[in-house]
Amino acid sequence: MFDIQEKLKEIGPYVPESDDDLLVCRCEEVTKGEIRRAVHEGITTIEEMRRFLRCGMGLCQGQTCGMLTRRLVARELRVPQSEMDVATSRAPMRPVAMETGGRDLGVEKPAAGGDAE
Amino acid sequence: MKIERKEFIVVGAGPAGLSAAIEAARSGVSVTVFDENARPGGQLFKQIHKFFGSKEHMAKIRGFRIGEELLREAEEKGVEVVLNATVIGLYREKEIQVQIGTEVHHYKADAILIATGASENMVNFRGWTLPGVIGAGAAQTMMNLYHVKPGNRILMLGSGNVGLVVSYQLMQAGCEVVALVDAAPRIGGYGVHASKVARCGVPFYLSHTIKEAEGTDCVRGVTIAQIDAKYQFIPGTEKHFDVDTICVAVGLSPMTQLLKMDGVEMADTRGGYIPACDETGATSIPGIFAAGDVAGIEEASSAMIEGRMSGEAVAAYLGYASADEKALREKELEESLGALRQGMFAPKNRGKKLEKTDEGIELSEMLLEKGYIGDDEIKRFPGYRAEIKVHPVLECTQNIPCNPCQTACRKDCISIGDNITSLPISVKDSTCIDCGMCVASCSGQAIFLVSENPEKGTGEVTIPYEFLPLPEVGEKGYGLSRSGQRICDATVRRVRTSKAYDGTALVTIEVPIGYTDRARFYRKADEAQ
Repeated sequence: MFDIQEKLKEIGPYVPESDDDLLVCRCEEVTKGEIRRAVHEGITTIEEMRRFLRCGMGLCQGQTCGMLTRRLVARELRVPQSEMDVATSRAPMRPVAMETGGRDLGVEKPAAGGDAE
Repeated sequence: MKIERKEFIVVGAGPAGLSAAIEAARSGVSVTVFDENARPGGQLFKQIHKFFGSKEHMAKIRGFRIGEELLREAEEKGVEVVLNATVIGLYREKEIQVQIGTEVHHYKADAILIATGASENMVNFRGWTLPGVIGAGAAQTMMNLYHVKPGNRILMLGSGNVGLVVSYQLMQAGCEVVALVDAAPRIGGYGVHASKVARCGVPFYLSHTIKEAEGTDCVRGVTIAQIDAKYQFIPGTEKHFDVDTICVAVGLSPMTQLLKMDGVEMADTRGGYIPACDETGATSIPGIFAAGDVAGIEEASSAMIEGRMSGEAVAAYLGYASADEKALREKELEESLGALRQGMFAPKNRGKKLEKTDEGIELSEMLLEKGYIGDDEIKRFPGYRAEIKVHPVLECTQNIPCNPCQTACRKDCISIGDNITSLPISVKDSTCIDCGMCVASCSGQAIFLVSENPEKGTGEVTIPYEFLPLPEVGEKGYGLSRSGQRICDATVRRVRTSKAYDGTALVTIEVPIGYTDRARFYRKADEAQ
């Protein structure tokens, strides 16, 4: 990893580009400009970016935009793409309806009298 | 709390997963396969084209038939295949979480194979979220699984094998492919796949990419432009096409989330972000295996062998096969896989710019840039030979692992030799009996039977034809060049279909005598070009 303050000095301020309004994450409607600007605000990992802008947090869970975001952040930081960590994988791997998630047979049923049915 | 116990769980019922399940079940392992789709087979049932390879790799068999065969074998071996079952979590101690219906189930297994395949990459140009911009895989699903035409006028982005094969299938489904575009300076897929698209008249635009998809409610058109070495648009090179669909085939990414979630060691490689695993797919966590595209993007043929290797390794890991048995089977499978990983498109050659074939013949630059071989260029390859009597002309000019043509010919007119990637030779002084088996057996549709009748001033060319309706005998039309241009009048003299040809019809056209070396496709007179 690099020193974030040094890195921000190195890459200089955010410079608008003509296609900054281009969508990158369509599920959460995050644009290229928003992601680029976030880098200059000190968001330098995919994990942080997901929490900061919610890109890759929608229905497809970054299946479509994950690579695009990674490439974009790497370019903005002037580091090879391979140096960017990918997003952490967490369950559920696919979108699951709350109703279904509530019927997790592997989870201990709350004691009688609890809030759940 | 309920956790069910399984012996061996496979995630993904595609070519790798099913092959592993069959192999392990053969040794006595009890196998359960989960797949999130309503139908098993992964991508196999979308593959209506004939596969490459040799007989052991099921070459010249269409993908969906291979899928049927795998399912039959899995059922016969007692493999349990659970469909509409989405694995949503993989945890320590080999516990998996599966969504089935509206419940989440938990299972534990002694061994787990992840064979989740890959997902399609996307590019974001202006307008990329408009309805009508679809992945090539999606187009294939619509056409080949659900029999829905994805669009009428289509632009394909990506010249890898997926882009090429899907372009051809779109035309088979009755769509018009207006252009095939790739940012790379050279075509990424097999030359033979490119050629069968080019001879239908589809122009290739290399070093070009999409600038904008036009339309407000859906795709109405597209503008492409040439790019320089730094991938920047060159002003003034814009080209517009009226299209209703843009297909994107810009590569695949392994779906490794489950493996990462489990804490398996990963590696960033040319083949994608993949688990670090050995030949059998064993990952850094004992008992967790990976096979197929999730362990590195390759062809379905390789995925099936990788799956078998993992299945065998799992059987040994669980004590169903001895180390000797495992080693023996592994060696056999490794050789088979090794054969597929040879040639110009081998993983080790990815990204390399090759100039010559293994035989030392200069590659066709036109084939790599425009999708077809130059009329003069073909003559330097061993598949070409000039003769008056009927003989095969094999327009196979790249070293790819494939040899069904050699076995298809009973008269030894075609020779490849022991090395599966060698270029086929049209054997001098051999006697072709015009049976057409070579034409139909060529997965790349690159074999033509050619003869001349100097007295009549005509010649005949037999071409592989996979479009419906078939031309009728006596019908008049045009002979098309390798680039799909009308070059001469043509009359259909013969249309052959046979069970042995497996869906490929052989259309023999009569053309003026100077055109037998150039006419490579046929189009009916009243059909638009």
